[in-house]
Amino acid sequence: MDRALFAAATGMAAQQRNLDTIADNLSNSDVAGFKGSVQTFAELAAPGEGGLGTTPLGSHLLLTQGKLAKSGGSFDLAIEGPGFFNVVGARGERAYTRGGAFERRADGSVRDARGYALRGVSIPADALSATVSEDGTIRATFTGGTRTLGRISLAEFAAPDRLRSIGGSAFEATPQSGRAREIVPGPKDGPKIRFGMLEQSNVSIVEAMMQILTAQRAYEANAKGVQAADEMLRIANNLQRG
Amino acid sequence: MVAARTRLEIATDNVANVSSDGFARTVARGFLTPRGVEVVGEPAGGHGALRHTGRDFDLAIVGAGAFEVRDGAGHVVRTRAGAFTRERDGTLRDAGGRTLIGTDGVLRVPDGARIDERGRVLSGERIVGTIVLPPGSSVHAGYLESSSVDAITEMIDVLSATRSFESAEKVVAAIDGARQKSAGEVARIK
Repeated sequence: MDRALFAAATGMAAQQRNLDTIADNLSNSDVAGFKGSVQTFAELAAPGEGGLGTTPLGSHLLLTQGKLAKSGGSFDLAIEGPGFFNVVGARGERAYTRGGAFERRADGSVRDARGYALRGVSIPADALSATVSEDGTIRATFTGGTRTLGRISLAEFAAPDRLRSIGGSAFEATPQSGRAREIVPGPKDGPKIRFGMLEQSNVSIVEAMMQILTAQRAYEANAKGVQAADEMLRIANNLQRG
Repeated sequence: MVAARTRLEIATDNVANVSSDGFARTVARGFLTPRGVEVVGEPAGGHGALRHTGRDFDLAIVGAGAFEVRDGAGHVVRTRAGAFTRERDGTLRDAGGRTLIGTDGVLRVPDGARIDERGRVLSGERIVGTIVLPPGSSVHAGYLESSSVDAITEMIDVLSATRSFESAEKVVAAIDGARQKSAGEVARIK
């Protein structure tokens, strides 16, 4: 009976964990460039003894492409294909993101709302307008004419699934992910940069809602298992009468 | 009563694994023995449904067979859970840190390589490794095999196990009552 109780309890704990992941996905479903994650579980079994329930194995990043949508931002960028934008945080720390809602600042830097600046990009304040082409080349219009202001490079990793999320759509490299390698956007079969577009999160709200329903019902089913085991214990305890 | 308990243990273990990828549900089989009914769990035939995930190295087997993975201690185990992640060195690991092995030892997947339906790792047109598969089975990348547990079936099992436990309790109580009677009343000399 203890085994039944224990197995059902591991199931409840697993679904709780599952819900945490789904809730995190759902709460970030509006964040541009956000990548959802998936919790995986495996059976817990002792050799020769049969099942003892389930155990959470860990979570995987789901690095699939999000949909690109036209946006109203003045310097919105989206990556079509693999790779990440190279960005630098306020304290000089390097990070990688696919969230491309950048804006030009007075000091020439191009930053997103969280303060991450595109690395190696500087657009003088007197530039009237700036655009980015498919291959990452930045062109700015000045009163005297148009000038090329460098090129945006992207980062790729040997094991991008092993990047560590540092909130929102930003990641940092880990020993497991390997160091960032620079790649240039633009080639035929490589990533391309879309100016004036944003990559939406790859979390589907409908799918997440369905996952929540399933997780909740699975939680309930496990709770019923606990109840049934408890009921059996009660009956067993009442065997001895008067 | 012991048989009903075992049935409940099997059902709760199944329900707990409703989200475990590649999990095959256990069925309770009852046997009549000279000492009453004995219930043992056996893996059920059949596999869970495939669901699309879109990750390159989520692998699902259609047909018989299982992935051979090696854990940190060097033990090779078989599993149908195919959620792998490509590491820096090209090996594929599952979330438990176990490495997928192919026909020639640890499988290595070069940059940009893919896995086709016959379990071959293709780098361009070149075959650089193969997943061990019995003939007739195929591998589908971008899919995972869901648990084969159906919560409804399991809930019915939980319910019926509880009820047969109750019935068995009634029998025990009846036997106990009869013995009480024989000890307390029949044996009394009037």
